[in-house]
Amino acid sequence: MGQFGKILKFELKGYFTNKVFVGITVFLVVVLAVVLFFPRAMDLIGGGDEPEPGEPGAEEDREVMLLSGGGEDALEALREAFPEYEVKLTDGDAAAAVTSGEASFAIVMDGPGAFTYFVDNLSIYDENAQRASEALTGVYRLTALTDAGLSESEAREIMDSQVSFEVESLGVDQGENFFYTYIMIFALYMVILLYGQMVATNVATEKSSRAMELLVTSAKPTSMMFGKVVASCLAGFAQIICIFGSAIVFYNMNRAWWGDNPIIGLIFDMPPALLVYMLVFFVLGFFIYAFMFGAIGSTASKLEDINTSVMPVTLIFIAGFMVVVFGMTSGSVDNPLMIACSYIPFTSPMAMFTRIAMSHPAFYEIAISIVILVASCLGVGIAAAKIYRVGVLLYGGKPKMRDILRAVRNA
Amino acid sequence: MILELRDIHKSFGEKKVLTGVSFRAESGKAFGLLGRNGAGKTTSIRILMGVFPADSGEVLVDGKPIDHRSIGMGYLPEERGLYPKKKIIDQLIYFAELKGMRYADAVKAVDRWLERLEMTEYRDKRLDTLSKGNQQKIQLITALAHDPEVVILDEPFSGLDPVNAMLLKDVVKEEIQRGKIVLFSSHQMSYIEEFCDSVAIINKGVVAITGELHDIKREYPRDTLVVRSADSREIADGVRGASLDENGDVIIKLSSPEDKMDVLRELSARYDIDEAKVFEPSLNDIFVQYAGD
Repeated sequence: MGQFGKILKFELKGYFTNKVFVGITVFLVVVLAVVLFFPRAMDLIGGGDEPEPGEPGAEEDREVMLLSGGGEDALEALREAFPEYEVKLTDGDAAAAVTSGEASFAIVMDGPGAFTYFVDNLSIYDENAQRASEALTGVYRLTALTDAGLSESEAREIMDSQVSFEVESLGVDQGENFFYTYIMIFALYMVILLYGQMVATNVATEKSSRAMELLVTSAKPTSMMFGKVVASCLAGFAQIICIFGSAIVFYNMNRAWWGDNPIIGLIFDMPPALLVYMLVFFVLGFFIYAFMFGAIGSTASKLEDINTSVMPVTLIFIAGFMVVVFGMTSGSVDNPLMIACSYIPFTSPMAMFTRIAMSHPAFYEIAISIVILVASCLGVGIAAAKIYRVGVLLYGGKPKMRDILRAVRNA
Repeated sequence: MILELRDIHKSFGEKKVLTGVSFRAESGKAFGLLGRNGAGKTTSIRILMGVFPADSGEVLVDGKPIDHRSIGMGYLPEERGLYPKKKIIDQLIYFAELKGMRYADAVKAVDRWLERLEMTEYRDKRLDTLSKGNQQKIQLITALAHDPEVVILDEPFSGLDPVNAMLLKDVVKEEIQRGKIVLFSSHQMSYIEEFCDSVAIINKGVVAITGELHDIKREYPRDTLVVRSADSREIADGVRGASLDENGDVIIKLSSPEDKMDVLRELSARYDIDEAKVFEPSLNDIFVQYAGD
């Protein structure tokens, strides 16, 4: 076993015996277990005691909503639309009743085709006004149609008729891929930032504890740099495999209970080819950033300097992440910025991966992106080892970029 | 084995750190590398260990350029420090492995040294739970466990209590006896004088003087006698060129070294003499002379 292997072993052991590292991993696995076993557990505990949906619970348990100025048919329509509320007609001050807390909200009819929705605090997820509007629109149209001379059954038939449609995506269904792409990009983002910081801190700790004095006389800087970065990459992978692996296992154990949940189903339904791409971009993206973080760590004399020193790299990374997330959420993953980002080595791990997952870039595009990334990884790795070699022996104040570059040239 | 630095120059940017460092150290002997703070000792050591190359000059082993892969080197840096949060045994084995030992050999060697330095009870403890002196003993093991041919000890005695200092002295003597080159760097002149046959004094990046300590001392003019006697006051008053020093010894300045025997005969005839010798400068005196501004 060469020096690289020994360093790798030592660093890996450091991660796997680190209580925080192990603790976080176990914690996340437990959280996933709780979440994914939840429906099954509810089923076991609750059994059939729960009230069926639609069956109204005890009257006094339900919150109150008020209708003011509407007729019997409006009241009936609202009762149907809000089964979880006790719908009451009122002639009093509906707004005051809402403010005092007597009612959760109130619908005050301003005329046959308009109403005001009164609520105390308006939540961003509040859809009551829309639901009420739909229900009351139905009543309004039905009334209008019957007033125009149609029988009620004819009117209902017209209102219930729908134009049917089917969707067939010839490329990739972005809606379907969105969730797992997002989860993977986010995992990449978290892992690179967390482990990058760890690599930087690790190097700076060795330097500030002066273990470096001995290390530089015992091992080659390239072995040290690569040993550390590869170890952190493996540790990160082990953690991800633990977390994602247990999620997949737990999901499959509980698949029957989750069967009809579309989002969960989509998340766990990712194609294997994408996993391979994920692996490639993950490793390369991890390396390129870990090298930079390691080099930065070596130039810091004190641990406190790390946070400010890594800021430029972190900013580049966050900017790349933002571009990708905006591209994803706007639905245009092939916009010019995304295409440019999918060739720049610092952003391509996220950008190209997103394009592969949510669009269909040509194979040569993917190949070029990977080649650029691999070449950059090597370049950055070598430069980082050089900076490291010089940086670890620079003590005192925070060295200026110019000093480092000059020292690297001389090295 | 003879280890030799020949006319080493090194600059960092504009700053010239070494401008001609040469010295030679031999197997089975201890060598003292002296100099004031910032004189260039650590840079010389790092070049010797191959941490970075010299701008010019050579590091030779038996006349041939050094091959760092074939010469084992052990180093106790002046700035001490290992991994404070890691188990002692783990890091000692790690460093021994980095120096090229196989795992099983590393475990054996480390355990033997822990026992030798009376540190076995701390084997599985974290480093930061130990006192400073004990941490230093642990660090010493990183310099010795892989049985290197060259042992470089930078201020090895600082921070050690007298009992531990004695233990370290014994270890150093053993290493010298086993034919190692032991390179000392220290400001504690008494230790250097006790161990080292040869020294080099570096001043402002250049070797001010180097050679056998014995020879260096003999180069000083031998025209002063130090006499210890119960009659020291009478001697100081009665002999030409005599005076008392702060220890109560008589210092007699001779007009020429050849007068030594005559003066000694005269003294022993007239006074009760306990001890009389030619004055030799201490290493401290030599250091102040060569390393001063």
